[in-house]
Amino acid sequence: MLGEFEYLLITAAARLGDQAYGAAIREEIQSATGRPCSIGGLYTTLDRLQSKGFLQTWMGDATAERGGRAKRMVRVTAKGAQAAQDFYHAVTRVSRGVSWAAPRSRS
Amino acid sequence: MSDIGWSVVDVFSRFLENDEREAVRGDLAEAGEDAWHGFVDVLGLIVRRQAALWKSWQPWLAAFGLALPASFLLMGFSVSVSRCYQRAMSAGPELWMLAGYVPLLIGWSWTGGFVVGWLSRRTLWVSGLATCLACVFCLERFRQASLSRLCLLPFVLPAALGVWRGLRTVRIHPGWAVTLAAVVTALAIGMGSSGAWLSNFALTWPAWYIVATGRIRSSS
Repeated sequence: MLGEFEYLLITAAARLGDQAYGAAIREEIQSATGRPCSIGGLYTTLDRLQSKGFLQTWMGDATAERGGRAKRMVRVTAKGAQAAQDFYHAVTRVSRGVSWAAPRSRS
Repeated sequence: MSDIGWSVVDVFSRFLENDEREAVRGDLAEAGEDAWHGFVDVLGLIVRRQAALWKSWQPWLAAFGLALPASFLLMGFSVSVSRCYQRAMSAGPELWMLAGYVPLLIGWSWTGGFVVGWLSRRTLWVSGLATCLACVFCLERFRQASLSRLCLLPFVLPAALGVWRGLRTVRIHPGWAVTLAAVVTALAIGMGSSGAWLSNFALTWPAWYIVATGRIRSSS
């Protein structure tokens, strides 16, 4: 079973699709959670997920806004998508009936 | 802070592998972080990477099971070789002993260095630091009127060559490894004193470690 941060990372990468790379995933996680995401945590988790076969990564193109440096591109594998789905369903099931799982009221 | 700060970040980034350094520095540039936060991020990644390496037994064996104790033992043996050299210069019969001691010192140092380089890889700096500390400790305390302090250090060059070779070698020919181990062992038995079997063993096992693991080592 995935860990919380692993799930966040896979989900952010899946949402970004072809634009999934280190800085974009980090920004996505930070905006979703409202918490800082360290580069150390991001890259070590990327490696761990890659070694488990949940992600593929490769070095992409360099861009001017990155000072001419290449990106580490990320793609979620079918195995990774399945693991994220399992995690999501488990969280959904275990959350049924608890007060904080109720939909937020719009004011 | 910015220019100097980013220079510091660049220096520390060198502890990362090339592709990772490229991606991380690009991410920091894209995020528009200041140098201090960039430094903290890079340092955090380096610490995590190093911590992951130390989860395996190889760096521990290389640094504290081999580099540190072998440095003390090889410095002691280097002094013995230097004394033997002095005697050989004044009395001819010591020359044959010197002819055995010198290749034994080279063999022990090279095989030890090779195994340290082989096992350490990206934790080599700790093994190197352990050796440096041992050398400084002994150089500080060495008091022999007839011998220079440099007599402690002849092992350093063959050991460094062994490390260099160990870092680059992926697989060793078994015949070559067995021959090397047999020669080192024969010299250790022939030249070593009977009371020093423990230190002889501590310096000889790396040669047999190369034999035992040379065929199964991966390129990781």
